[in-house]
Amino acid sequence: MGGDDLRSDGGAVAPGEASVLDRARALAGRDGAAIVGTIVALIVFPYLLIDGLGMLGDLIGYRIGGYEGLASLVLIYGIVVIGFNLLLGYTGLLSFGHAAFFGTAAYAAAIFSAQVYGSPLLMVLVGTVVATLLAWPIGFMSIRRSGVYFAVLTLTFGQMLYFWALGPGAWLTNGDNGFSGVQVADLFGTLRLEGIVPFVGTWMYVFVAVFMVLAVAVASRILNSPYGLIFKALGENEQRVSFVGLDVFRYKLMAFVISAAFAGVGGSLFVIHESYIHPTTALYWITSGDFVIMTVLGGTGTLVGPVFGAFVFEYISNVISGVSLPVIGAIGSLWRLILGAVFVIVVWWLPEGIYGAIKEGVAWGVDRIERDRGQPAADGGED
Amino acid sequence: MSVAQTFAQVVLNGLQQGAIFALLGIGLTIILGTMKFLNLAHGALYLIGGYAGMVVVRQTALNEGILFSTGTTELGFGLGFVAALVLVPVIGFVVGIAMERWVAEPFYDRPETDQLLVTFGLALIAQEVIKGIFGGNTFQSVTPSEIFGVSVSGPVVLPVVGSFPQWRLYLIVIAVVVIALTWLVIERTDFGLVVQAGTEDSEMVRILGIKINRSYSLVFALGAALAAFAGLIGVSIQTISPQIGTERALIPAFLVLVVGGAGSVVGAIVGGFVLGITIAAMTTLASQWAQIVLYAVAALVLLFRPEGLFGSVEVD
Repeated sequence: MGGDDLRSDGGAVAPGEASVLDRARALAGRDGAAIVGTIVALIVFPYLLIDGLGMLGDLIGYRIGGYEGLASLVLIYGIVVIGFNLLLGYTGLLSFGHAAFFGTAAYAAAIFSAQVYGSPLLMVLVGTVVATLLAWPIGFMSIRRSGVYFAVLTLTFGQMLYFWALGPGAWLTNGDNGFSGVQVADLFGTLRLEGIVPFVGTWMYVFVAVFMVLAVAVASRILNSPYGLIFKALGENEQRVSFVGLDVFRYKLMAFVISAAFAGVGGSLFVIHESYIHPTTALYWITSGDFVIMTVLGGTGTLVGPVFGAFVFEYISNVISGVSLPVIGAIGSLWRLILGAVFVIVVWWLPEGIYGAIKEGVAWGVDRIERDRGQPAADGGED
Repeated sequence: MSVAQTFAQVVLNGLQQGAIFALLGIGLTIILGTMKFLNLAHGALYLIGGYAGMVVVRQTALNEGILFSTGTTELGFGLGFVAALVLVPVIGFVVGIAMERWVAEPFYDRPETDQLLVTFGLALIAQEVIKGIFGGNTFQSVTPSEIFGVSVSGPVVLPVVGSFPQWRLYLIVIAVVVIALTWLVIERTDFGLVVQAGTEDSEMVRILGIKINRSYSLVFALGAALAAFAGLIGVSIQTISPQIGTERALIPAFLVLVVGGAGSVVGAIVGGFVLGITIAAMTTLASQWAQIVLYAVAALVLLFRPEGLFGSVEVD
């Protein structure tokens, strides 16, 4: 809708050139909107989570407010599932082995911090590079199969790493005792990550939030590019993509590697945040399953949908689990039951996920309001 | 221990583990083969079988969970193991029929990914419901001491093998009999013929005027009964906790499926025993690597022989 207004005067610019420029500007605009929106959301998110829900909790008499660390955790998993969704939501490949990349990055970052230097930035860099390098061979082998066979193959690779870290690799990972020698240094040598930043929380949160903005920017750039268009096309009809003459294998592999890199960023941030890593939280297939649940809960096929899923998942597991109800008593470990139920409901009735449902609800509401005013419903505005 | 003795023990341990794998794999493979339905809740059926077995066989003292907090400190009928051998598969059968009708059927026409996701969610729910009812703690295995007056506990001395737990021998026999019966039902009965034909081309079977929907729910129930039975014999030698469904059953079942070949009963049987003996051998040779080698075998089969050893379903 913006494109025509911008260049309606025509001028000296040749028509073909103008349309290219406009398209470029429109693309930048879309990315820019996503980035600005993310930044605003990230600034108010801790406030809403901790104070907003806290006040609501005081009103209804339950402790449902979040806490500082939860905000960072949601973003860390949010980054992982934005990448995971590039694979599941766009190319349609269901991986049950992404814990391999998350966990390997976490271990690589942890070991780097213990042996070399604990600069948070370097830790993220090392973790992400290692995860990406690992994704190449695993992807190269797994992409050859599709559907459940792809899922089982990724699962077997992930599980091999898990059992290796638990047993034979204990000299490196400290096995079942977990790796606790993480030495996180100050950011840029001066900023302590625990240090307080007015309004938004700690430097840890700011650090994670910056990576979230980067993740959204990169994912938005990919999805709004012709390259991302091919990812979507692969999810819709792989055969046609190959008929057009594109190398299906290469694009699927790239989608796999990119999503693993996101998981690597998330894994490195996770270990910086927790200062401890264990094979079960990092590499076990249940963690891969958690990524699947988050992504599907939030909504596959939209950029930020999975982040909603990560929020719902972490909120149920960390906050709702602490709520005590009148009849049942403390929810405690039953949180997974609630999560499972919500998950099944979403898979069954909300194929677009929670984010999709919210978007649909808002669109329906807007539609109703405009109809009540006697105006025709406006089209456009969809992304 | 001599080499021959070690070898014989590995084979027996492998048969015992392989029998459980095969029972799980058969159920999964016939459901996938006939209905093209991927059931990630297959481990949950094993879990239900395990707990149902525990409740039928003995009285178990509870110390957490909803039942405990409402005043029940002991749970179970104490009917003994023979009763469980009959009742547990029946329970699995009934659960299977219910699952086919209310979960699987609405998803037959939906994409593979949706089937995986919804059954994955169900598996989570089943595990948490069990945890809620019985509490999250680990219970002792339900090893029977006698069956029909014959003592089955304690070790027995065999030629070559040496001392071996007696019950494990009976377990292998019982499991192999059940596997053989299943194979006969699939290979030698009209019902089995419909199932096999359905695996090849379910549309054609329907056109021929066979009520395949009824066969579908029977196949599903049969698969569920086998998984529940596997759960019962699993918990007769191993401890019982809410995680056994996902940790001991779901993943092995899928590995058996890919090694044996989707849709093939013979494949599931062979695949089960191949993986069982692999893990038994590796546990003796280098126990730290046992699980890793198990997954590596599955990965190698998927990479180099994607249709599995006896696969009949096309793999892309």
